[in-house]
Amino acid sequence: MTGTTVERVAVLTGWGEGISALPADAARAAAGRPVIPIPRPDLAGDRFRRATRECLLGVAAVDALLREGGMPRDAIRGTSTALVYVTGGAYGASNAAFIAGSSGAPAGDARETRHAQAWAGALHFPYTAPSAMAGEVAIEFGLTGQYGILIGGAVAAIDALWQATRLLAAGRCTRALVLAVETFQECEGLYARGRWLVRRPLVEAAACALLVPGAQSAQYNVPRAPAALETLALARAGETLACAPLIALALARDGGTIGPISVTGEWRGRRAGLQWQ
Amino acid sequence: MAGATRLRAEPVALVAAGAVTPLGADLDAFWSGLVTGSDGISAIERFPVADLRVGRGGEIKKLRPLPTPRQPGCRATHLLLAAAEDLLARAEISAEPSRVAVVVGTALGGVEQLERALAPQGRPRHAAAAFYDTPTHALARRVDARGPVVTVSTACAAGATALGAAADLLRADLADVVIAGGYDALCRFVMRGFDALRSLTRERVRPFDRRRSGLLLGEAAALVLMTRDERSGDPKLGRLLGHASASDAAHIAAPDQNGRGLELAVRSAIDEAGLTPDDLDFVSAHGTGTPLNDRIEADVLKRTLGVRAHQIPVNSIKAGLGHTMGAGATLEAIMCLLATREGVVPHTLGLEDPDPACDLDLVMESPRAFRPRISLSTSLGFGGCNAALVLEGTEA
Repeated sequence: MTGTTVERVAVLTGWGEGISALPADAARAAAGRPVIPIPRPDLAGDRFRRATRECLLGVAAVDALLREGGMPRDAIRGTSTALVYVTGGAYGASNAAFIAGSSGAPAGDARETRHAQAWAGALHFPYTAPSAMAGEVAIEFGLTGQYGILIGGAVAAIDALWQATRLLAAGRCTRALVLAVETFQECEGLYARGRWLVRRPLVEAAACALLVPGAQSAQYNVPRAPAALETLALARAGETLACAPLIALALARDGGTIGPISVTGEWRGRRAGLQWQ
Repeated sequence: MAGATRLRAEPVALVAAGAVTPLGADLDAFWSGLVTGSDGISAIERFPVADLRVGRGGEIKKLRPLPTPRQPGCRATHLLLAAAEDLLARAEISAEPSRVAVVVGTALGGVEQLERALAPQGRPRHAAAAFYDTPTHALARRVDARGPVVTVSTACAAGATALGAAADLLRADLADVVIAGGYDALCRFVMRGFDALRSLTRERVRPFDRRRSGLLLGEAAALVLMTRDERSGDPKLGRLLGHASASDAAHIAAPDQNGRGLELAVRSAIDEAGLTPDDLDFVSAHGTGTPLNDRIEADVLKRTLGVRAHQIPVNSIKAGLGHTMGAGATLEAIMCLLATREGVVPHTLGLEDPDPACDLDLVMESPRAFRPRISLSTSLGFGGCNAALVLEGTEA
C-alpha cells in the first residue's frame, strides 16, 4: 500500500475565489446575512443550458484546480482518475424546484411559474439526483474511472478524502479528485427551519482537492474535539458543510504547513478526522 | 484501470441479511416470492397517481409497525428500520459500538419529507428529515453504531456501492462489523419524475424480452451484516470478493450506448476478486426491462465473458419487485447468495420471448435447479454510475 499527498486544493466560496478571498471573521463579514451566495458560473456550451447551479459550481471548481496547477484537461481525462463527490445538501435546490413545478401551483409571477413548471419535466428530473453533479463533471472532464458519491456534512467529506486515499493505496486509480459543493440560496427558508443542524452564516462553496500517491500515510480517526484547522475554516469561511475539510486543507497549504496535517469535521453530533503524517 | 497495479482484495464475509420488499415483510418472503414467481406489482394507493401515465409499482401494502414506542414519520426511514429488524432477528452484532459502522445507499433519501416541508404547513422536522442521510442516521441510532456512518448516493447503483464501501471499511480495520445495504421508498416525487421521462411501462416489465417497453418502480430496503472473513465463523451467507465502480462520462440520464463504464466496472471487480471470467457461474443483471439498458448489458456481458456469456445463467428480478432503486443492487446480491445456499436460481419474471440481441443463457419460465458458487451482479444509475460486485455463496 502506498501513501498519498494532497497535491492541490481549489476553493470557490461566496467570498470569492481562493483562500485569499476569505475574510478574517466570516460572521462579522456576513453582517447578519444568513446566506452568502455564489453567482451561477457563466460557463459556455449548450450542454450546460439545463445544468443546475451546483453542477456548474462543480465544473468551475475542477477548472480552478487545473488552472491553478497549470494542468491541461487531458491530465485528468480517462480511467486513471477517480472522482469522489460529496455534499450535505446541494441537491436540495433541484429537488425543491422539481417539487414546486410538479405541484402546478403558481410560483411568483407568470415567468417564474413557467420556469417552475418547466422544472417538473423530463429534462430536469435527472438533475434532482446527487449523481447528476458527479455525472456532469465526469462528462465535462472525461472522467471514466472509479467514483464515489457521499452525502453528509463535513464528516462525509472526511470519509470522501479517506476513500480517495484508499482508492490510491489499492491501486484503483493514480490520482483522485475529491469534490465538494454546497448551495443554500434556493433552500434558505428550509435551512432557517432546520437551524439546529447548521451554523451561520451559510456560505456557498465548491472545493476540489487533487490527491496523488505520495509519502504520507493517512490515518482515519474519531477525535473528540475539532482540529485547529476545522476551527479556522469555520471562523474564516463560515458554515460550508462538506466543503469545510477541503477549505481546511487549502488553509493548511496556504499557511505552508509542514509535517502532519489533521483535518476534522462534525455533522449530526458525529465527528471524524483524517491525519496525514 | 490504466497505469496502476491493483491488489487482490481481502474477501469480506456477508453473515446475514434482512429485507422488506413488495414480496413480503422479511427475507423469507423475498426469497419464496422470487422462486414462486410472485408478482409484487400493484396499483399505487399511498399517494395520488391519477394524473400520471402509469400508476403501478412495487408498493409495500402492509409495513409492520416497528417495536418502538414512536413510529418514524418518514417512510424511507421506516423501510430501512424494518429491514434492520429482520436482520437483527437473524444475527447479532458482536462488536463494541465504536467498532460498528453503517453504510447505506439510496437514490432518494428522505425526499418525500421535502415535499412535506415545502407544503404550507410544513414543520421544521420535515426540513431536517429531507436530507438524504437522515434515514442512515436513524439506522445508526437503532443499531447503536458509533463507528463511521456513511450514506452513498450513486443513484440506482447505490446498493452495490454501499457494499463495496463497507468492505473497504472492514479491510482498513475501521470497523469490525458493518451494517450495509440500500433502500428507497416510492413517493410522488420519483413517480412523477420517471413518468415524465416516459421510462415507465404501461405493460408488464419484461427484462431481455423482445417486447420489453420499460420499467416499473418499487420500494424496498435490504441490509447485510458484514465482517472480516476470519471473524465471521460459520454459518454465513457468503463473501464479497470484489467490487468496482466506473463512470460513463456520457449522459446524465442514459447509459453509455456502448456500455464502456459498465464493462470497466465488471472487469475491475473480477480483477479485484483475483478471478477470471471463466470462474463466474451466474450473473444477476441490472435488467430493468428498458430497451436500451438490457441491450447494453447483454453486449457488455458478451464482451467481458466471451463464450462463457452464453453458458452462464443470467437473470433479472426487477419484474416482480419493480426497480427498487437504492435497494435493488443489495437485494440482487442477497439473491445471488441465497441461490447458492438453496441451489436454485430464480427466473426472470415477464421474460417469454427473448430478444435475439440479448442472446444469453437467460433463466426464464421457472426457477433453475443450479447452485452457482461465484456470482456477478451489475448495476447502473443516473449520472453514468456503474457498479459490479463479485460474490461467493456458501452452501447450506
